[in-house]
Amino acid sequence: MKVNLAVYWTGGCGGCDVSFLELGPNLLGVLSRVEIVFWPALVDTKREDLERLPPRSIDFALVNGVIRTAENREMAELLREKTKFLGAYGACAHLGGIPGLANQAHGILESVFGPNFRPAPPIEGYPEDAPAQVLFEALPLEDVVSVDFVVPGCPPPAGLVARFFQAALEGQISLGQVFAEEKALCEECPRKREERRITRVARPHEVLLDGEKCFLDQGVVCMGPVTRAGCGAACPKAGMPCTGCLGPTPKAGDPGLAMLSALASLVRAGEEGEAAFPEEDKILDGFVDPIGTLYKYAFAKYARSLAQLTKRREGMRA
Amino acid sequence: MPETRPRIGVFVCHCGKNIAGTVDVARVAESVSRFPGVVYATHYEYMCSDPGQALVQRAIKEHRLTGVVVAACSPTMHEETFRRAAEEAGLNPYLVEIANIREQVSWVHTGFPATEKAIRVARTVVEKVQGNRPLRPAEVGVVRRALVVGGGISGIQAALDIANAGFEVILVEKSPSIGGHMAQLSETFPTLDCSQCILTPKMVEAARHPRIRLLAYSEVEEVSGFVGNYRVRIRKKPTYVDPAKCNLCGECEKVCPVRVPNEFDRGLSTRAAIHIPFPQAIPSTYTLDAQNCLGIVPLRCGKCVEVCAPKAIDFDMREEILEEEVGAIVLATGYELYPKEAMAEYGYGTVPDVIDGLEFERLLSASGPTRGEIRRPSDGKVPKEVVFIQCSGSRDPEHHKPYCSKICCMYTAKHALLYRHAVPDGQAYVFYIDIRAGGKDYEEFVNRAMQEERILYIRGKVAKVFREGEKVVVWGADTLTGKRVEVRADLVVLAQAVIPSPGTEELARKLRVACGGEGFLREAHPKLRPLEALTAGIFLAGAAQGPKDIPESVAQASGAAAKAVAILSAPKLEHAPEVAEVQEELCSGCGICVPQCPYGAITVDEVAHVNEILCEGCGTCVAACPSGAMTFRNVEDEQILRMVRAALEAADVGV
Amino acid sequence: MSGFEPRIVAFLCRWCAAAGADLAGTSRLQYPPNAIPIRVNCSGRVEPQWVVEALKAGADGVLIGGCHPGDCHYVVGNYKTRRRIYLLHKLLADMGIEPERVRLAWVSATEGARFAQGMREFLAELKRLGPLHENGGEK
Ligand SMILES: Cc1cc2nc3c(=O)[nH]c(=O)nc-3n(C[C@H](O)[C@H](O)[C@H](O)COP(=O)(O)OP(=O)(O)OC[C@H]3O[C@@H](n4cnc5c(N)ncnc54)[C@H](O)[C@@H]3O)c2cc1C
Ligand code: SF4
Ligand code: SF4
Ligand code: SF4
Ligand code: SF4
Ligand code: FES
Repeated sequence: MKVNLAVYWTGGCGGCDVSFLELGPNLLGVLSRVEIVFWPALVDTKREDLERLPPRSIDFALVNGVIRTAENREMAELLREKTKFLGAYGACAHLGGIPGLANQAHGILESVFGPNFRPAPPIEGYPEDAPAQVLFEALPLEDVVSVDFVVPGCPPPAGLVARFFQAALEGQISLGQVFAEEKALCEECPRKREERRITRVARPHEVLLDGEKCFLDQGVVCMGPVTRAGCGAACPKAGMPCTGCLGPTPKAGDPGLAMLSALASLVRAGEEGEAAFPEEDKILDGFVDPIGTLYKYAFAKYARSLAQLTKRREGMRA
Repeated sequence: MPETRPRIGVFVCHCGKNIAGTVDVARVAESVSRFPGVVYATHYEYMCSDPGQALVQRAIKEHRLTGVVVAACSPTMHEETFRRAAEEAGLNPYLVEIANIREQVSWVHTGFPATEKAIRVARTVVEKVQGNRPLRPAEVGVVRRALVVGGGISGIQAALDIANAGFEVILVEKSPSIGGHMAQLSETFPTLDCSQCILTPKMVEAARHPRIRLLAYSEVEEVSGFVGNYRVRIRKKPTYVDPAKCNLCGECEKVCPVRVPNEFDRGLSTRAAIHIPFPQAIPSTYTLDAQNCLGIVPLRCGKCVEVCAPKAIDFDMREEILEEEVGAIVLATGYELYPKEAMAEYGYGTVPDVIDGLEFERLLSASGPTRGEIRRPSDGKVPKEVVFIQCSGSRDPEHHKPYCSKICCMYTAKHALLYRHAVPDGQAYVFYIDIRAGGKDYEEFVNRAMQEERILYIRGKVAKVFREGEKVVVWGADTLTGKRVEVRADLVVLAQAVIPSPGTEELARKLRVACGGEGFLREAHPKLRPLEALTAGIFLAGAAQGPKDIPESVAQASGAAAKAVAILSAPKLEHAPEVAEVQEELCSGCGICVPQCPYGAITVDEVAHVNEILCEGCGTCVAACPSGAMTFRNVEDEQILRMVRAALEAADVGV
Repeated sequence: MSGFEPRIVAFLCRWCAAAGADLAGTSRLQYPPNAIPIRVNCSGRVEPQWVVEALKAGADGVLIGGCHPGDCHYVVGNYKTRRRIYLLHKLLADMGIEPERVRLAWVSATEGARFAQGMREFLAELKRLGPLHENGGEK
């Protein structure tokens, strides 16, 4: 019995679609057991093909990309209707991803083109050439349809994709499942942790990094402690700190704030005192890009609503 | 089967008119009764009274309550009361919470807003109590033995007090004899009684005490465990002399060809490699100092062995490592004086006739190198003009130590007086910044010195001390007259700053005890917990915690001993259960929590562990843990978030 | 925006700030009732997530009350809090939220008057800033 599969790409870079190739020869095994009913990037399938399918006829659908346009939303809703198990695939669908950082602006088109921007009307006779209808916010998938499971990552690492296919083919997916570990990345990171006290905060290019030592101990913000393990600590092993693409561990809550608290707590921990306040502040001032570091992928999911509060109010006053 | 759905009871107190005069208590109870989870709500005139408590107890039983909220005065007033009452009625006390609607509502607000706030406050606490779990205090057993580190007067006093209370004590002293600096002193202020005479009986008592095990020439290697259950490794260095056989004849010392400076006399005399620090030393035996001996391995000298009739000298003696368990630890490692190398401006270290206070004590001491006659080191002459410089190295944040060493004003006055007794035609000068004599009979004592005819107190700072021929010239300024002063003295005595004894920080690290900026052991609270380290079960005594004289050292030692005895005599150590707790299945072992804890309660291997006896419940580690693996019993994040939402939701105040 | 009554959540450490608030009560010092207090053991237990949750859930401002530096019952808890709030202020500013909406205050157990005064000042500040939420003005 083959399993029906759909894969769809909304607002994203396309890396997620390519990521399946990382399965290597195993991909052939997977493909021999699935029936691709809809995957525009791979086989010639159109929206109409999807519309024709009866409800809940697709066993598994994987959506990658952020929900950025009205069309993205419609497609997500359509897939939801046709699918038994719908999954967010990759950081954009899961958390909003890097495109989710656009929510820092109050309405992306307005803030790029100015308040008087109006999209040009479509050329007569070519309605499909009309500019996309851009939504006010860039949203994670779960904000427009209910999501049954998540294959996280930017893009999802091959091991986790393989884990998903295995579970899918065996019919072993549970609602709410995230195909990654419950513990944080430090669990699988080989770097040595000794100091646990920060005396500077710097970006990776500003420090001569020791390849063996934990980044945090070297004052470089690593999102590992708040991010699910599962990637095998790919970035720390390759010499770069974790940026959090697998998303927060189940009890971390807002990963940006959780890491902010951890980071601030570590500054001169154990050696603090009133006399050191200016020194502590100086160290923290070295943290130059809080949003980009703490919310590289998760801004849309966790910080969007907060960031919009003041802006909305300003809009209201205007 | 525990109830799955919460059944909360809310009890609103009128507190006579204190609450009910401002807050519409009936309305609060009525409104709260409609909150989800609340099955019973009422109000009463005095909830804390016996009938009030009975009302709560009855409701617990009748309504099978799983949680109780008493909306009343501050929890500091009656939390205990209601928790105990609930326990009597069969409800775990940790399922009772207080909503403060008196101090923080009815007494500070008026009118309808007060009632509205009372409802919100009660509501937040209802939300909290729904997340509470029943808890039981943690319990551990206690090893009924104490360790005292440092055998100065403080350590001796602490050891005696603990032993006299009926507990075993291990007293570890790093030098060959106990006694500490007090053994080096001549006479003591303010009474001028002989230091040795009051100290020796205490030393002997400690040595003979059936419950004190004295380990001299020993050091603490390693400490693990926690309050009530410490494990210590002690390294006992070899003395190469069997104390049981040595009869103190002293023959060995005479034949020993080695001469090195005698530490006890602070280098003012010499000693052999095999020696006894001072005649009354305890343990009462000779010690062979292997560092200076001409050779144990290979055996090259051995002269002492030949003359030792009782065959007490054993060159095969090896160091021993002892493992002991103790329930409490007293640290009494004392002080040292600020080193001479640091005081170049006062010629110290280069001019032989510039000495420190302890050297002067040795010159004054009847058993000292000069048998109590004051003779200066360079040529043995009796000095006719002596300058004492106070605050040498103290109260000088720019160059030396910022703090006041506290004891120098007093001992300098003592030195000047004793010098005058010893050299009736001598002249003493004392340079001082100001006099601090805040002890019982201290002011009178200093006044005695100041009124003495041939002691001249000069208020001012000494700029320079240098040698000129046979004289030591002191240049200073009298800040009262503004005049320059020059004294051509025979001897200069520096009241050097008191600093922690060497190795204090290393020992502190082994014990996970904090040191303050200047390296003295840090107390848990400067005002309220001056006898304790932050680490539970470790206490501080004497000059190790900061400069102190003998009476203060002894008082603190007895206080620390009493604290230690309180632990040793407890049948079990109980500890409040509202502490941090690791959810191991979520912990990555990142270790971020570890340096957050001021009490050293957290360790990490694969995952973090909280020692619930050591955790004091601040919750700082919980807020720091990025992955949510560290939680806090009955103050879980989820509880607080529910409280926050309840505080902000539109309040249902209608009737 | 005349009828605007800011809503405040106040996290108070039990040893100093909550005790100071109690003293304000014992001394019958009146102050505006806009803040709902939540008592915690130490300001060091307060998580930035709680503060932000309060802002998201409708608060116009959040007060964190702890012991003065050097007085924390747990010695160093408030030092951690100070650094967390310092960094949170930076983050809020980057998000366009006025950092002044989150206030860290040191209040000792003897400072009832300071607590009441601090409450009045914070309220005035929030009134100056205006509501954080769209429907903030109406109640
Ligand atoms: C010049 C001078 C004159 C003084 N005159 C007076 C006076 O007249 N009246 C008065 O009240 N006070 C006087 N004092 C103060 C007095 O010396 C101290 O108050 C007292 O000695 C403090 O006792 P203690 O036990 O705390 O420390 P100490 O006497 O320093 O004893 C500490 C002991 O601990 C041992 N030790 C240190 N580290 C370790 C370790 N790691 N492991 C094991 N053992 C260790 C040391 O060897 C020592 O035996 C004078 C001080 C000075 C400098
Ligand atoms: S480098 Fe990052 S992932 Fe690795 S241990 Fe350190 S914080 Fe954790
Ligand atoms: S000769 Fe022997 S017995 Fe006598 S003092 Fe020396 S070691 Fe002790
Ligand atoms: S900070 Fe949290 S995840 Fe890290 S070791 Fe501590 S409890 Fe575990
Ligand atoms: S709650 Fe406080 S005392 Fe307890 S383990 Fe955490 S940091 Fe230590
Ligand atoms: S107990 Fe008040 S801030 Fe720590």
